[in-house]
Amino acid sequence: MGVRSGSTQMAERSSSEVGLVSSLMKSWRIASSSVPTSSSSSSPSAVKNHSRSPSKKNSNSATNNNSSKSFIDDGNFCAMSKQKNSTTTRKSSSSYSPLRYVSPTLSSIDSPKSSFFRNQYSKHHNQSYYQHGNNHSTSTLEKSNTDSIKHDKYFQDLDEDWSAVIDDYNMPIPTLTNGGNASPIPQSNTSRSRPNLTRSSTSSSIATNAGLAMTPSLQYPKLPSLSRTESPEVKSQAELENEREAQELTAIMQRIDKFDCILQSKHIINQQELKEISWNGVPKPNRPKVWKILIGYLPLNIKRQDSYLKRKRQEYVNGLNHISSNNHSKDTAAWHQIEIDIPRTNPHISLYQFKSVQNSLQKVLYLWAIRHPASGYVQGINDLVTPFFEVFLTEYLSQSQIDDVENIDPQTYLTEEQWSNLEADTFWCLTKLLEQITDNYIHGQPGILEQVKNLSQLVKRIDSDLYDHFQKEHVEFIQFSFRWMNCLLMREFQMGTVIRMWDTYLAETSTETTNSIPYTSSNEISLPKTPIQRNASTFSTPVETTSPSSYGRSAPVTTSNTTSVNSDDSTRLRQSSLNEFHVFVCAAFLIKWSEQLLDMDFQGIITFLQNPPTKDWTETDIEMLLSEAYIWQSLYKDATSHWL
Amino acid sequence: MSNPITSIKLVLLGEAAVGKSSIVLRFVSNDFSENKEPTIGAAFLTQRVNINNNTIKFEIWDTAGQERFASLAPMYYRNAQAALVVYDITKPQSFIKARHWVKELHEQASKDIIIALVGNKVDIIENDESERKVAREEGERLAEEEGLIFFETSAKTAENVNDVFLNIGEKIPLKNDNSSPNDTTITEDQRINLAASANATSEASSCSC
Repeated sequence: MGVRSGSTQMAERSSSEVGLVSSLMKSWRIASSSVPTSSSSSSPSAVKNHSRSPSKKNSNSATNNNSSKSFIDDGNFCAMSKQKNSTTTRKSSSSYSPLRYVSPTLSSIDSPKSSFFRNQYSKHHNQSYYQHGNNHSTSTLEKSNTDSIKHDKYFQDLDEDWSAVIDDYNMPIPTLTNGGNASPIPQSNTSRSRPNLTRSSTSSSIATNAGLAMTPSLQYPKLPSLSRTESPEVKSQAELENEREAQELTAIMQRIDKFDCILQSKHIINQQELKEISWNGVPKPNRPKVWKILIGYLPLNIKRQDSYLKRKRQEYVNGLNHISSNNHSKDTAAWHQIEIDIPRTNPHISLYQFKSVQNSLQKVLYLWAIRHPASGYVQGINDLVTPFFEVFLTEYLSQSQIDDVENIDPQTYLTEEQWSNLEADTFWCLTKLLEQITDNYIHGQPGILEQVKNLSQLVKRIDSDLYDHFQKEHVEFIQFSFRWMNCLLMREFQMGTVIRMWDTYLAETSTETTNSIPYTSSNEISLPKTPIQRNASTFSTPVETTSPSSYGRSAPVTTSNTTSVNSDDSTRLRQSSLNEFHVFVCAAFLIKWSEQLLDMDFQGIITFLQNPPTKDWTETDIEMLLSEAYIWQSLYKDATSHWL
Repeated sequence: MSNPITSIKLVLLGEAAVGKSSIVLRFVSNDFSENKEPTIGAAFLTQRVNINNNTIKFEIWDTAGQERFASLAPMYYRNAQAALVVYDITKPQSFIKARHWVKELHEQASKDIIIALVGNKVDIIENDESERKVAREEGERLAEEEGLIFFETSAKTAENVNDVFLNIGEKIPLKNDNSSPNDTTITEDQRINLAASANATSEASSCSC
């Protein structure tokens, strides 16, 4: 999981200096990008304050601190805000999850390396959350723009608070009653800050912090108007709405510019930067290219891109030629299975009913299947191929038609060469994606079983009430979450939201794995290209770690894999995989319904979870979910250390 | 309704795309859909029927058919009182698979499990008998050898679908004292849930595999 790896690395660098604090931070990914030595001089009162209530409320207050401290350098004020947080968080009355409101902002600081984002984030956040500290915030606004070193120092404070919390987490496992649904932030406060937060989070279509950041002219006029909202009733919803619309338009353009800027860099695309910004959503026009880069298909080196694409596309054509040649003995079982599944893939979307599209997908899936004999075609992969196909198809449509991609038969606008390129790109990106989750589809599907187990353990910790209720009703996690894992929740959401979700998921893909760091499953992928194809059977028992050296790769990572005690950096990177993040998304998704589920019996629960009410979910809903998942992952990172 | 409700745990097994989910969809909500997404894992549905003044509630686990998911099946048939082993009369391979399932059930499932062998998709051969690839006699013979209920059905036309379930229901001993307290106390709730589960079928979870 490349995006957040930065903080880990940085934290480790200075670990000798800060000892315990930083070692705790290593497992704590809401970390500062640098850990000054002074961090050991934390204010003890603050630590105490937090350690006293090691419940979910802590996460809230701490994340609030996160935002407040990042810009408030006045010591008194700092204390004041802290106190405010801790008091507010104890008033638990509303049924809102605090995470829901804090989370989108967290996702924008999830890029610990980018102090730029953080500055913007804190400015933005400042306005909405701490209107009462107006004077201070105005002055610190300017500071935070220029003084990023100082800025980091504020974050460092935060880390200490967190470390105190971690200490508590290491004791008895804290349980969050009711999945944190009964939660603390006072309504008045959140309702004011909410529009801002949602706006900033809905990035592919709307404004983002980064977008706003680029025009200070947009920022400053906003301050007075927001400060007026000190009395909550003054600012009407309609006013906010208007303001939002105006900003959205500009912000979309700015965000696209930002992506263009990264994509059109002179030599090498900054992958880290791209991942960070993509985590919050990719604008439609940029999406095909960004996805190809995120997944590790398109090279970062601009100069290599064209020739590489040409070669891979030719490789795909060669693969097809091979299939149709006499040398290839057709795997009729696989072909047949794909053939019967294609017409029932996304049956509600007309795009997938066109014969031309079905033929394309048939070829892509079949070629993938025969090139990956250890796994072969497994139902669900037919779902996973479609977001790629659909997104890459938009490359060949004019801007105005992009939204109609699901309704127009591509046969009417694609040339033969474009068809072939589209299929090739889809094929290679599907290959890259499945590389990351091979264990999900090999014999026995150990990857999925593992994830289901992890999900249940996670829910046990996060929402023990729900977990106990499931036990009482004899609901087993595998009964409802197997599909969540097998299809990456694609069956649970509409295509539009799935695609938005994949912006984040692809930003979560681990570059380390795509660069084929030795690991049992990822080895399998490269095999079919080499003569040792027969060895694929080795991987039918995935638990067994094959010696990577036999494939001419370095050994250390695999060893540290098996002994997961080792906190080797590469292990850490590997662990933070798409699968792991997905489990947290599933947990957030499940806990979202906690209240309802607690009132249901076995039949009600299973029926509900088979058909969750997500039909009307918007991108914003998905972004909330992803942000919550991110927070859970940050909070329970230590719990996952033994997972993989 | 004065009699207690008997619950029957029933599992569907069979090769991919033989129509397991379609049979359930027909039985539960009297509906049919040509292209349903393949079942992943398993889907849960319920339906109640009245047989001889007794209410029987079917709790149905509709499993995924693809071989890769087969390792999940024991979890679902282990406690089942009844099983539907489904094959496609136009696909000989699916009949071989059905044989395997019957064998596995006899070996692994509970001793007194009631098994129905179901040859689906008879609608296909209505106009063109040459489409039939598994003779009715073959099915009958297997059923006789193994002591199974046997039906040829069409989920598309609804032919014989309900009969399969009713036949199973008649063979299940009524367990007046064995029904869980839920069954007797929150009957109304469960009726509502039934509708919900019908929705679930048509929305997300079922298919023809």
